[in-house]
Amino acid sequence: MGGFEIITDGLMKALQIIISGDPEILAITALSLRVSLTATILGALVGIPLGFLIARSDFFGKSIITTLINTFMGLPPVAVGLVVYLFLSFSGPLGFLRLLYTPEAMIIAQMILTFPIVCGITISSVMSLNPKLKETLTSLGASPFWEARVLLNESRLGLITGIIAAFGGAISEVGAIMMVGGNLLGYTRALTTAIMLYTNMGEFATAIALGIILLLISFAVNLFLTILQSRSKVKRTI
Amino acid sequence: MAFLSIQKVSKGYAGKLCLKNVTFQVEKGDLLTVVGPSGAGKTTLLRLIDRLEEPDAGELSLDGKGYTSLAPQNIRSKIGMVFQNPVLFNTTVFNNIAYSLRFRGLPEEDTLRRVNSILDVLRLSDTKERRALTLSGGEAQRVSLARSLVYEPQLLLLDEPTANLDPYNVSIIEEVLTNSNRENDTTIIVVTHNIFQAKRIAKKVAFILNGELVEYGNTEEFFNNAQDQRTRSFIRGEMVC
Amino acid sequence: MSSAGSKKILIITAIVLIAAIVGGTAYYLNVTANANRRLIIATTTSTVDTGLLNYLKPYFDNKFNANMTWLSLGTGQAIEVAARGDADVLLVHDRVREDAFVASGNGTMRATIMYNDYIIIGPPNDPAGAAGANATLSMQKIRDAGLTANSTFVSRGDGSGTNALEKRLWTKAGITGYANASWYYSTGSGMAATIRVANEKAGYTITDRATFYSLNSTMALSLVIITEYDGALLNPYGILQLNSTRYTNIQSDLGTSFLLFICSNEGQALIANYTINGRQLFFPMFGNPESIGLPSENSTVTVINNMLKARGIQ
Repeated sequence: MGGFEIITDGLMKALQIIISGDPEILAITALSLRVSLTATILGALVGIPLGFLIARSDFFGKSIITTLINTFMGLPPVAVGLVVYLFLSFSGPLGFLRLLYTPEAMIIAQMILTFPIVCGITISSVMSLNPKLKETLTSLGASPFWEARVLLNESRLGLITGIIAAFGGAISEVGAIMMVGGNLLGYTRALTTAIMLYTNMGEFATAIALGIILLLISFAVNLFLTILQSRSKVKRTI
Repeated sequence: MAFLSIQKVSKGYAGKLCLKNVTFQVEKGDLLTVVGPSGAGKTTLLRLIDRLEEPDAGELSLDGKGYTSLAPQNIRSKIGMVFQNPVLFNTTVFNNIAYSLRFRGLPEEDTLRRVNSILDVLRLSDTKERRALTLSGGEAQRVSLARSLVYEPQLLLLDEPTANLDPYNVSIIEEVLTNSNRENDTTIIVVTHNIFQAKRIAKKVAFILNGELVEYGNTEEFFNNAQDQRTRSFIRGEMVC
Repeated sequence: MSSAGSKKILIITAIVLIAAIVGGTAYYLNVTANANRRLIIATTTSTVDTGLLNYLKPYFDNKFNANMTWLSLGTGQAIEVAARGDADVLLVHDRVREDAFVASGNGTMRATIMYNDYIIIGPPNDPAGAAGANATLSMQKIRDAGLTANSTFVSRGDGSGTNALEKRLWTKAGITGYANASWYYSTGSGMAATIRVANEKAGYTITDRATFYSLNSTMALSLVIITEYDGALLNPYGILQLNSTRYTNIQSDLGTSFLLFICSNEGQALIANYTINGRQLFFPMFGNPESIGLPSENSTVTVINNMLKARGIQ
């Protein structure tokens, strides 16, 4: 009596909600995926080339920049959300863009979170490659384009890990998208902010249902990574 | 006119000279082995020839044109280098070799043909879909040779290519080198500390000791009538310092 | 794992990813077809967490062909967001700050529309003996018991309207220095979260009646009502029209429509009609603030009534 019954009861209701295919739940899930996937992809499109350039070049201030990027990997989402809100607010410098409380604003905020993660992990992956690789490529006559292509391929396991880590952070964060998205029903309500709302309203079953969906997404993404890892991992004999 | 000319070349690291005033020439079609005790001098020489580094003093020239007047890519397109302990790429054996041709923008059908052909030559055909990093030492070294040979360089540099290999792999590699030299007129320079290998395959031999070029001549003379006392000691197998 | 097998998984995953992005985008595009009729209300967590706005939404949406949405914030943040021009209308319960909002020119009109009341809730065994009709006395008793480690008080500590009322009660009871006391906890959170903490600690807290009933109906709290119906516990809500000249990008017409709607007979009736488990949570108050001891709003009431007639809403 009491204790466990409450939990199993909540779980049963949650499963019912998921199976029923409630359109609101579907919309919330779709929005979460759209925002976090886009933010991760964009963060990677900028982060990987930039990370590669930083890793392969030697320039004044390289260690400072690398340290900065590594520091930004741990930016607190709610603080990022506040800063982006101040910028996008009507009273802010970018208010004329009318981006506040839109999924685009959420993507922007999450990009600020994903970019340093992908960039930082790219830098460390590329820098931990065997230094002889670069020389071998030079000797074989590879152009800078080919060199980048081959070296990025060599560090693909690390890069994929970075992308997955960035996505995991994005889809599970709540502070940033709450502030710049506003959790508006039908527009900017994502899984994490919806969980907060339903929890506050005391509707635990729905909150748990959304939590289960979030976990499933996380699981699927990590499964993907594990498969890629097992393909890329090689039993080196030399 | 010499194909490759090394003139008074010196190179040092951290205050210590490992090549001192080295001068010699290599004709087109030569197969030269560079012998000497283990040390950085011989490897450094190859790296200078492949223009991975610049000499502190002296000049190198290829086909009459000084290195300083040529773009590095210009030089390297004619040269192939096989490193000691080669690093292969994390992909199939086929791709490892194909890269060399793809870097040069060769269309894919030609690449396919030429890679398959070189795989045959080096007896690697049944490994072509395997991950290169799973190969044995001998197979890996042959892949390393294949990826340089496949783009038919005029000058091939090899740094201890058969050290640590079993006789089977040694003989394949030596056979391929001598064939390439004979049939395609490829100029070959092999750094080795195995004087028996030098006797087997070389047309010319150079002896570098403590960064100095002590002896240089064709194989016959080198082994039977060396000029320098130190060379004779080395050939006899005595430790020369 | 075979190369062919994992290639298939890669392709399937790629398809799923693309489908997610496309699907999400499609849904969003469909939804934002109505963006130009979207109303954003900056309001406090109490109107949202109790489900009141959810209840009003279909009526408003239907009548004005709109899409009513809301930002569920602490009072301070709601006012700040409105002051920055990021919402279309403001609905809060902090008279002092509401008046300041209008005085600053950020708001162009405000009216009292409803009230709910606060209650002091606490553990069923009432260790402080705080139960009674006098809220001020209850606070003193809670503090006294706290000093002997027999009771705890949980505060929202977030600058909300509820928090402001709590502070006023402490002041009225002549109590200071409670913030650092060992029996006093500050959650910095919304009402529901604070109640949950009080529930865990079997402590006392002040909450609006609406949130208490709402939470109780979905999660069976162990806390009970200790003190209620004291005049000091009344909590009036104000609706504020935002300055459309100053905030040029807001949906000022829709915002005004919402203001009129909630003041109209229909809106007021809906407020009275909203119940949880048969209990009414909010009490309509438009046009009659004097009845609970608030200053008259006659001029504003007249303006609003005229607008209601002019727009044919009633």
